[in-house]
Amino acid sequence: MKSSRVRVILVALVIASITVLILDLRGGRGPFSGVRLVAESVIGGLERAAATAVSPITGAANWWSTVRDQSHQIQTLTTENEKLSTQLREQANDAGRVAALDGLLKVAGVGGYTVVPAEVIAVNPAQDFSWTVTIDAGRNDGIEQDMSVINGQGLVGRVLKTTATTATVVLLVDPTSAVGARIAGSQEIGIVSGTGDQYSLEYQLLDPRADVRTGDALVTFGSKGGRPFAPGVPIGEVTQVQGTAGQLTRMAVVRPYVDISRLSIVGVVTRPPRTDPRDSVLPHVSVTASAAPIPVTDGSTPAPLGLGGSASPTPSVAELSPSVVAPSPNLIQPSPAG
Amino acid sequence: MWRQWLLVGVSLVTAVIVQVTLLSRLGLPGEAPDLTLVTVVALAFALGRMAGAVSGFVAGMLLALAPPATTPLGLQALVFMAVGFIVGGLIDPRDRTVPITIAIVSGSVAGATFVVAVLDALLGRVSVPWDHLGGLLVASVIYAAILTPLVVPIIGRLARKLEPVKSTVIGS
Repeated sequence: MKSSRVRVILVALVIASITVLILDLRGGRGPFSGVRLVAESVIGGLERAAATAVSPITGAANWWSTVRDQSHQIQTLTTENEKLSTQLREQANDAGRVAALDGLLKVAGVGGYTVVPAEVIAVNPAQDFSWTVTIDAGRNDGIEQDMSVINGQGLVGRVLKTTATTATVVLLVDPTSAVGARIAGSQEIGIVSGTGDQYSLEYQLLDPRADVRTGDALVTFGSKGGRPFAPGVPIGEVTQVQGTAGQLTRMAVVRPYVDISRLSIVGVVTRPPRTDPRDSVLPHVSVTASAAPIPVTDGSTPAPLGLGGSASPTPSVAELSPSVVAPSPNLIQPSPAG
Repeated sequence: MWRQWLLVGVSLVTAVIVQVTLLSRLGLPGEAPDLTLVTVVALAFALGRMAGAVSGFVAGMLLALAPPATTPLGLQALVFMAVGFIVGGLIDPRDRTVPITIAIVSGSVAGATFVVAVLDALLGRVSVPWDHLGGLLVASVIYAAILTPLVVPIIGRLARKLEPVKSTVIGS
């Protein structure tokens, strides 16, 4: 082939392609739309035939890329699943904590207690016969010895000792713990002490003639300066009365409101309420003066009774004036510290 | 003479069909292997620059016409024609070693991809993904290097079989 002919053909091809390009770019139904249609249908037919022939190959390729995608997807989903289920578990846990904290805040709000919330982080093994737990708040959080510990249900116990970041709490059910209690409504006072059984407490009434009935609710009547027990904290409900009226002492079995096997969030009362909340903190404030006439001295609410864990033998609240501490020598003074 | 054009036509149609129906659907990373352009280069190697230029023109037209292509007619034809013409006269057939062949094929594929992208952008037809272009070029070079040892010897052998005497001198 001559060089000049090559040049001619080349120039012709260049001109042809540029012309085609320009005409095609003008869009619409250009002069090539017909050519294009025919060519496309011819090549398209070939493509269809070829596609059938190569479909096993493309199918395998698709399968392979699907498998690749799927294994990646499985990995992604597994990771995501793990993350989500962890979140869900945490959420369930959080919901429980929120409920516990909510109950605590309600009690603290109604009773006017200033509380430091804390979580139970360790429980003393029951083989020890002492019922104590460790909470994750300590001196740094303003917690001191002999502060009351409450939760949304009622009284949990009191702080026995503290470290900088933790505190040990003696539970109400510990055999060595004792707390001055008052029957809601009738105002009969006595001592509630632990028995070592987590579902029953012992209530010793000071007035042998007192009228105690099953179902009566007990609240703390408080210690001097709110330590170790703040006033008005619900303790439990009388489930059984022992002894008859007129015996030297009368006993009752009390079921605590707090289920200590399910302790999670507790609150340490760092400051007792300015005024005794009386019976207002009880879960059902339907306790009325029906059980016994409530003696009213002067119409004013008595301040927290100054009883440092010891119970006054005074037979009736009516004779207690807010400032009077009248321990009687003829009664054994129960010590909450054991 | 006509056998030569038969080879050009059959091999290019086959290449285009295989590229559109098979290679593009394998879902390989990067762009699809440019079998058509590799075939154009192989034809230019076997038949000279004249046949290379015509092959490029035909291949470009076929690619633009094969559904589902939407590229304007003539754009790829122009570029492929230039590639065929340049490659066909680039080097004496006796000096072509395997590495040089692979280098020429890969270089022309990458160059053609780039030039088509630039021309497409100049014509304002498509928005060229410039940030992916580097990856596309690398992929096209790798695929071309893989296809070269398969396509070039087959085309060369067919060309020699069809035109035993003139196959290496046509168009020079």
